[in-house]
Amino acid sequence: MSENERILVVDDEPQLTRVLRTALKSHGYEVRTAADGLSAFETFNDWKPGLVITDLAMPTMDGLELCRRLRASSEVPIIVLSAKGEEKTKIAALDLGADDFVTKPFGMDELLARVRASLRRASKQSATETPPKILEAGDFRIDMETRLVTVRDQEVHLTPKEFDLLTYFMSHAGKVLTHRTLLAAIWGGNYVDQNEYLRVFVGNLRKKLEADPANPQYILTEPWIGYRFNP
Amino acid sequence: MRTILFRHRAAGYVIAVLGIAVVAATLKALGHHINTTTVALGLLLTVLFVATRWGSAAGLFASALAMLCFNYFFLPPFGTLFIASPDNWIALAAFLITAVTAGQLSASAKRRAEEAEAGRLEIERLYAELRDAFERASHAEALKQSEKLKSALLDAVTHDLRTPLTSIKASITTLLEAARATNDQEQITLDPESKVEMMEIIDEECDRLNHFIDSLLELARIEAGELQLRRRWGNVDEIVSSALVRAGVITRNHQLELAIEKELPVLRVDARAVSEVVYTLIENAAKYSPLGSAILISAKREGDGVIEMSVENEGEPVPIHLRERVFDKFFRATRDADIKSSNSSGSGMGLAIAKGIVEAHSGRIWIEGRNGGGTRVVFVLPIGDEDGERTVNDDEERPVGA
Repeated sequence: MSENERILVVDDEPQLTRVLRTALKSHGYEVRTAADGLSAFETFNDWKPGLVITDLAMPTMDGLELCRRLRASSEVPIIVLSAKGEEKTKIAALDLGADDFVTKPFGMDELLARVRASLRRASKQSATETPPKILEAGDFRIDMETRLVTVRDQEVHLTPKEFDLLTYFMSHAGKVLTHRTLLAAIWGGNYVDQNEYLRVFVGNLRKKLEADPANPQYILTEPWIGYRFNP
Repeated sequence: MRTILFRHRAAGYVIAVLGIAVVAATLKALGHHINTTTVALGLLLTVLFVATRWGSAAGLFASALAMLCFNYFFLPPFGTLFIASPDNWIALAAFLITAVTAGQLSASAKRRAEEAEAGRLEIERLYAELRDAFERASHAEALKQSEKLKSALLDAVTHDLRTPLTSIKASITTLLEAARATNDQEQITLDPESKVEMMEIIDEECDRLNHFIDSLLELARIEAGELQLRRRWGNVDEIVSSALVRAGVITRNHQLELAIEKELPVLRVDARAVSEVVYTLIENAAKYSPLGSAILISAKREGDGVIEMSVENEGEPVPIHLRERVFDKFFRATRDADIKSSNSSGSGMGLAIAKGIVEAHSGRIWIEGRNGGGTRVVFVLPIGDEDGERTVNDDEERPVGA
């Protein structure tokens, strides 16, 4: 747990912000709350929190617009609180740069796990500003210069596109990546609707990386949204 | 169909024979009093009748028959088809040409009239078909709209159920984690105050869920016309003060001002229901106005037998185009109209229920702007009399004075 990590909670439901403030504080985080996107953005600029947890449907400025504005100036991790039936908005938020989502109603343990993962990722990213020569996470090790990939100390041979996809997953480990984000990053902006490319390459990667490709442990499917890499 | 047509045509020939025979016999019976021109005209009339009624073929047949009769019975020498005088040849030829032409003309006029009628019927049929198709399409569109509305209502209801559930679940899981944490696993430090706060939130959110379900039921009763009013004689002060007591917590950060006219007559209403209306208006007034601003609750006599009550705030005025819509069920100002609220958004049922209650009392409720900004929600109620709706327990006498 990071001591005194600042978290900004944005929701128009005062009861929920009360709960989140108390629960997060009890885990040692410093917490501020905002009831709409606009005041959240102001608080963000003044207070510089290390993480933002935001609802999507809010008055004055909604969660999507908040994600857009935050991403324009900052790489702060954003966790979106969404409800069933808000899938489209949720995907839009992830496409705009949100890092993760939690579906309402959620258990505090689930939200806290996401908070810790997002903060960990953010601290790693800020620690390595220059692209690393060696990517290491969990069972995976990638030497970017020799393009050597090892999983559980076993060497794996990948095609160039599979290699690109895996390195992208590695550098965004734990984060929910939408189909659009992955397609744009690996194939380019013209391919953002070609979900079948992704399906084929993820299938191939799973065959080469997973112990049981039918029951993947590393590349997890987020139904209707995309994938999450769990090294 | 063909048999009917054949019979119709055969009737034309039979009538032609009979008609010509009757006319010829009648004219012959009149003897020398009749000249050949009259005979020709009489026969011509018969031809016209047959042609108009049974068409051109029967008309031609009647013309030929009339010509033969004319020649045989009326042109000398009588009783033969021979014609002695050249004048009579001309008369006969003129008769034949006139009979055939007039017969064909009248038959064709008849045919055209029939075609026009058929055209009119066809247009009427097409119009009816088009109208039916249009009605079916409108019906389908109405169904679609109704399905859309249902889905929107369902979304609103699930949102209102899930929001308190989210707070409850987050609180409970935090409390559970704290309860399960062992001493060496000091991930969570939940002090007693925080624990109490979590439990308070759970308590409040349970009340909120319960209130939401009560509101749903009340709205359903109003919509089904099953709102049971328990009318009694009551006074405005009591109605307002009971609403104010309930609204104590909500209005603690606002300045309340009362302007209740003195010596208002008593009202024959369901006091609990009317007090609910006043409470809803005060709650909304507080919710949609800045903390510390004033809320004015007033009541006065408005004309004969009518009391007007209103609640005013200093918040953002409700835009004119929304002043009707805010009374729609599940309409929420913060979500649907981007109006700022200092508190959590409501269930979108309060004003719909208030309207239902006021209208059940034969009253009226509306929203108007307020001089110098803010919103004023007004409702009027008839004072009511003994003939008003009675309930089983309705046996009290009208008290004297208010």
